[in-house]
Amino acid sequence: MPRLPYSLLWKARAVDHLLPPLVKQCRDVHAAQNELRWLRAHADTLSRPNSKAHDGLLRKMVEQRSTGMPLQYILGTEFFGDLEIKCRPGVLIPRQETAASVTYLAQLLQRAKNLPSQLHVMDLCTGTGCIPLLFQHELHAARRDIQVYCLGVDISTKALDLAKSNLRKLQKTEPAIVPNLMKFMRADILKEPDNDVPSVLPSLKAALELNRKPKQWDILISNPPYISPSAYWKTTTRSVRGFEPKLALVPKAELGGTDTEQGDAFYPRLLATAVEIDAKVVLFEVADLDQAVRVAHLARKTNAFDGIEIWRDQPDQDDLEQVPENISKDRSCFPIIGAGNGRSVLLYRGVGASWLGMPAPMQGTLEQQQVSL
Amino acid sequence: MKVAPWICRSCLTRISRSPLRRLARFQSTTSTSESISPALLARARTIASEQKELTEKLANGFDARAAKKLGQQSAIVNALQTWDKANESVTELVSLIHDPTTDAELRDLAADDLGSSRTALAEAAKSLTTSLVPIHPFAHLPCLLEIRPGAGGSEAAIFAGDLVRMYESFCNRNNIRTTFLKYENVNGTSEAGLPLSEAVIEVESENAYGLFRCEAGVHRVQRVPVTETKGRTHTSAASVLVLPSLQENSLGEADFEDPESDYYVDLKEVRVEVMRAGGAGGQHVNKTESAVRLTHLPTNTVVSIQDSRSQSKNKDKAWQLLRSRLAQARREKREDEIVAMRRSVVGVAKMGRGDKIRTYNWGQQRVTDHRSGTTVHDLDDVIQGGQTLEKVMESVRNWLIEKDVEAMIAEEEFAKK
Ligand SMILES: C[S@@+](CC[C@H](N)C(=O)[O-])C[C@H]1O[C@@H](n2cnc3c(N)ncnc32)[C@H](O)[C@@H]1O
Repeated sequence: MPRLPYSLLWKARAVDHLLPPLVKQCRDVHAAQNELRWLRAHADTLSRPNSKAHDGLLRKMVEQRSTGMPLQYILGTEFFGDLEIKCRPGVLIPRQETAASVTYLAQLLQRAKNLPSQLHVMDLCTGTGCIPLLFQHELHAARRDIQVYCLGVDISTKALDLAKSNLRKLQKTEPAIVPNLMKFMRADILKEPDNDVPSVLPSLKAALELNRKPKQWDILISNPPYISPSAYWKTTTRSVRGFEPKLALVPKAELGGTDTEQGDAFYPRLLATAVEIDAKVVLFEVADLDQAVRVAHLARKTNAFDGIEIWRDQPDQDDLEQVPENISKDRSCFPIIGAGNGRSVLLYRGVGASWLGMPAPMQGTLEQQQVSL
Repeated sequence: MKVAPWICRSCLTRISRSPLRRLARFQSTTSTSESISPALLARARTIASEQKELTEKLANGFDARAAKKLGQQSAIVNALQTWDKANESVTELVSLIHDPTTDAELRDLAADDLGSSRTALAEAAKSLTTSLVPIHPFAHLPCLLEIRPGAGGSEAAIFAGDLVRMYESFCNRNNIRTTFLKYENVNGTSEAGLPLSEAVIEVESENAYGLFRCEAGVHRVQRVPVTETKGRTHTSAASVLVLPSLQENSLGEADFEDPESDYYVDLKEVRVEVMRAGGAGGQHVNKTESAVRLTHLPTNTVVSIQDSRSQSKNKDKAWQLLRSRLAQARREKREDEIVAMRRSVVGVAKMGRGDKIRTYNWGQQRVTDHRSGTTVHDLDDVIQGGQTLEKVMESVRNWLIEKDVEAMIAEEEFAKK
């Protein structure tokens, strides 16, 4: 990382002596000023302003932040859409881009005329539980007539504890969030359902049976670990590497394959799961446009979906970015929606098309098409 | 039977003292002319006959626009009726007095009555005149006050901060709720006590736009800045913008969706930018930037908000500010067109928005409003948002009504020619 110009730090010091360590971390004076303001406000809630304890607390938090500890772990929360989600070391911090995709999906579904009165939503790799919580909140805002039943699944007990704690916190303030309609469950979603030897860590299928959960789900969402081992070292920031759990970011090494294959490791199983649970609408987050295209091709190969779209960071914005040369060839195959980096892949089939307000699937069933091939 | 809700006495007196309340009243009590101009009387009659038609239209089926117009005009029609009655009784009394067949006792009685009837007529004329002044279409709305330093370096920035505090305490004293939509000092932070770079105060009560409308413009300060070593007096300035605050609940949904309305914004014409740390995004970075920038492409109006950690809250605030700015800009364009037309037709001058409207002179402890010509000497009370500020503001509102009445009369007379 290039060194910051000394003049910048000097200028920051003139504003506030606590600012330079934050500028080093944020690499931008404005961002650092915002962080200092939020830290100060946080210190205000914990101790009397202008007291010794307050000063000490604030200095300690600035120090922590200057080592690269994420602000969200220090403050204990992050905003995800309208929701303030609790964050704890050991569980990935929710990202704004994820919130943008989930919100957009909920917006598309809000207009649907033929949604079932109870909509079943499964979120695999749920972490803090942010995705099902926001989805329920967003859909409820416009559709009081629909009950949204959500199930969040994760391998990590730390994550599941935090997700449950988020549910307890938010049910108090958000009328949309109802404990009866929001469950969390432990499973290893990579475990194949067939060779499932009974163990503490069940496969998804086994866990669904064990917990007497439905076999069919209308919507499947997942933000799985998607970073390849080399990208982990090259692309993630130091704060991410130093403080966020690798389990949440990089698929396990035992899965084998090339570097790229390892980064993509969750998607084949996720696609198979989508078919097994008969999901009508599927949304997977991805690392970038390249991975989006790879996942889209995988999805097409399953022959299970009527439509495939790629969404960027802000799916509701007009396209301002150029599509790179190597991908523009694929563009005719997959519509790319929105502005920013390639961020997620949307799949739908059957009645899912009409829920999303997409044109009806092409004539003839998939089976017929396969026969004619 | 209706049960009146119990209200404590002190609340009642507080309400009755509130400038918002007075605002509602003064529309019908202030005027300059003793008797009504014939041109205005004619206009009132036209409106009254129009109202008959509107009522018939409404009887034949509901029409929202007609209903709204009817509501606005009924004040005029009522005032006209009162005036007609008062006029009739004065005429009757006069003819009684002049009638040679009237006996002396009756004539005395009539003469006694004439005085009070004349006063009633003058009152009715005033009410009728002011009822004809069109009420500003934003007057009923809450408002945003945008305050920025003008010419004069850091002294201007300090003065801008003084104005912010002045309006804040004015609202506090009058039980009007305010919140900061944006507050940025010269360091780009929101810590108080530093010279101001930009503040947007939301004044949340109804009619706030009508109350503060006349505060828009350039406020000039003359004083010895704290930073001045040689004791010289400097002149600097700060500007105040007053925008309608367009919260969803202060307007009907129809207002937002009708492309003809001042409040309409085509979502496709607004670029929403969330500040990205650049690079890969997603799981790769755990950025904290939550700033949102909106650009209205046709007018290149840019609004950016970064106060909250919640991107979604910043977005809501940014939209609110953008809608307000666009609505105000559209309104100003319309008003400018009207002013230009009036100027070309009848030569009525009006102050532009860029003109300085008020001077705060510390050395002489005086505040002068250049529009109403009012000067007060209790500068401290003004700057603390006290009664004296209210007095100045009221003088400007009255001045504005007088101007409007003058323009109206001139227009009517021109139209007759
Ligand atoms: C990128 S995080 C996503 C968290 C959350 N959905 C969000 O968007 O903030 C991935 C999550 O997958 C979980 N995970 C990793 N391997 C898993 C597996 N084999 N089965 C189930 N969950 C797994 C991790 O514990 C982590 O919480």
